[in-house]
Amino acid sequence: MVNFALTVFGVDWVFLKPYIVLGLALGGVYALSGVGVVVLYQATGVLNLAFGAIGAAGALIAYYFVNHTSLPHWFAYLACIVFGAVVNVAYGMVFGPAFAGRDPLVKMMGTLALALILLGVMAWRAPAGGAFVRVLQLPTSNDRYAVFGAVVTLTQIIALVFAFVLTIGTTAFLRLTKIGTAMRALASDREITATLGVPVRRVELAAWLGSGLVCGGAGLLLADLFTSLDYTALTFLVISSLAAALIGRLRSLWVTLAGGLAVGFFQAVATPYASITNYRTAAPFVLAIVALLYLGRHRTVTLSRTAG
Amino acid sequence: MRSMKIKLGVGCVVGAVLVLAALATSAGAANPVGSGKASATKAVCGMGTGKAATGKPIKLGGIDMLIPGVDFTTVGKFADAYFKCVNANGGINGRPIKYTLYDEALNPTQEASLAKKLVESDKVVGIVGNTSFAECGTNWKYYKSKGFVVIGAGVQAECYSTPSFAEVNMGPRYSNIGAAQRLVKLGAKSLVVASPDTISAYADGGVAKVAQAAGIPSHIFPIKLPITDANSTILQLVQAAGDGGGVVLDFTPDSAPALMQAAISQGLVDKVLWGSSTPIANEFMAKQFPQFDGKMHINQEVGGIGDGTPDEVLYAQITKKYAPSIALQAFGQFGYLIGQMATKALLSVQGPITAKSYNNAVRALKNAKTSMLCKPFYVGSVAYHIPNNVDINVTYKAGAVVGETGCIPIQPVDPQLTQTRAWEKKFNLNTAK
Repeated sequence: MVNFALTVFGVDWVFLKPYIVLGLALGGVYALSGVGVVVLYQATGVLNLAFGAIGAAGALIAYYFVNHTSLPHWFAYLACIVFGAVVNVAYGMVFGPAFAGRDPLVKMMGTLALALILLGVMAWRAPAGGAFVRVLQLPTSNDRYAVFGAVVTLTQIIALVFAFVLTIGTTAFLRLTKIGTAMRALASDREITATLGVPVRRVELAAWLGSGLVCGGAGLLLADLFTSLDYTALTFLVISSLAAALIGRLRSLWVTLAGGLAVGFFQAVATPYASITNYRTAAPFVLAIVALLYLGRHRTVTLSRTAG
Repeated sequence: MRSMKIKLGVGCVVGAVLVLAALATSAGAANPVGSGKASATKAVCGMGTGKAATGKPIKLGGIDMLIPGVDFTTVGKFADAYFKCVNANGGINGRPIKYTLYDEALNPTQEASLAKKLVESDKVVGIVGNTSFAECGTNWKYYKSKGFVVIGAGVQAECYSTPSFAEVNMGPRYSNIGAAQRLVKLGAKSLVVASPDTISAYADGGVAKVAQAAGIPSHIFPIKLPITDANSTILQLVQAAGDGGGVVLDFTPDSAPALMQAAISQGLVDKVLWGSSTPIANEFMAKQFPQFDGKMHINQEVGGIGDGTPDEVLYAQITKKYAPSIALQAFGQFGYLIGQMATKALLSVQGPITAKSYNNAVRALKNAKTSMLCKPFYVGSVAYHIPNNVDINVTYKAGAVVGETGCIPIQPVDPQLTQTRAWEKKFNLNTAK
């Protein structure tokens, strides 16, 4: 009897396929975070580096309510999402107008400050080590299914489905609603949009609110999928989401979705390959660089020389 | 008449309060934590006088690493708690110990400058409580040049191969060997070991030697911290171990939970035999992961928490009084042992306590008994120190950490262990009954 063993670059397919499932599940959360980042950037010009920190802080609040109060768990999960929205909207209200006229780099550095402040508060109120193991497991993680030799939880499926639903919903929202049209107009030109009578501040706040809700939701899902509430690691997971957003060139929601899935996929699939397994955390950077080089291949650079 | 009754009532209440206060004071004064006379059944803090030390402070200091994914400051914080207990019990012949703890971020420049600051600016007489992935390698030459011997809890190779350190623990390499020994004994058909990448080259090599001696395959996985894809990582380890294989995890409670939770989520708990080095031998881990009850075989470098021996009892009392925010755990036990041994050295100094006299006293330590270790602690004037090389195995059971084995010598797969045991016999370092 002949035993047909399919190998992919030297790794048995049987060993490889669970990583595909795990990678897509993780990629789903990167994708939905990336979509949240792109929507905000489109409407306000702010690349939100605090996305991960806000989600991590929200997850810590949820952890507190779940483990140290008798409040129902749904309240804790809702608190995480609401926290994301409140912090985002508060930042948008206070700093949005002040940074409106500044260039994107300055706007981005403002959110970096927010990330560092939140990181400091988390380190102060919930120091690492000592007496606690912080694990925030959603009840949906108790439902498990065997897919291609990997065990996937309902949370992972929700993350993946949520990423698609969010992309479809946001695309429809931007195209079909009045406020969505206003957001797209803002993305094109803030000054002209304001001149046309669009309530710019209100539209921007709507974008901050939407992005904040996604931020809180992603924090909740990531805290579960990450399997440990390590707020430092969760804060810096924004890098993978940013890579997805950059792959979408901060414009296309669908390419961002694909980018997020690709980051999760390659990061996980690289695991069983001994020669590259130690470098798999570089997947977001490598993919972002490759995508930017590929997408920018038709750009022409004009050089001029001034006669002396 | 009415005012008379009121006065009488107030008098009774005041009297009752005074009596209660006096009773409380006398009860507290009768048994302050760590007081009394040391015996085979009772451990005390230092002199055990029950009276606070008030003299000129004796300065000690330490350096602990704190990075995302690993917090070693618990070791130094608990050494400080032990010194507080010593200070409340007469200190060192009436002088309190003042302990300064610095944290470092796995930065060699910072490690070197902090060592210099402690010795030359803070003018400590001794350095104790150090734990880091890299500090031993950075500072051992400096400590040697200054005549210092650090009593700490080691991690990297230089902590166990240079004369500058006398660690109360055996470190990840020997603890991993202990865990691997246990898994081989339980019938593991292969061995897989995973450690943080910064220490893997040293920490994991011993497991490969245990596997070689047992005639089974082994795989080493250096893992980058913080762990960002625990599901893939744990699947990789289990796949490498294969059916009937053993996986040894070598992570602190900052990183191990992600992997253990991923193993639960992936349904991998029963696929392999699980082993671990000491750091996760904690009640809070046992409570968090009942799925690993009887299935996580942990090499425990120090005694079993709550085993009722004198030093474990005192350790729990000090935790309650001086370090209530630190859960009962191995890192706390390390801090206790460090404080205990440094105090023994300080109390043995004849004449003025200086850096020279204290460090000479440290070198002179031998047959220092403690119920937390299988054999007495020692330092001695030898080329390197591995005084803790016999320990126990524990596992989780119903939210507690319970013993699995008695004291077992770590398999001497390294020539350094064979040499150490030869020195122990030759110089009578830990052979006293």
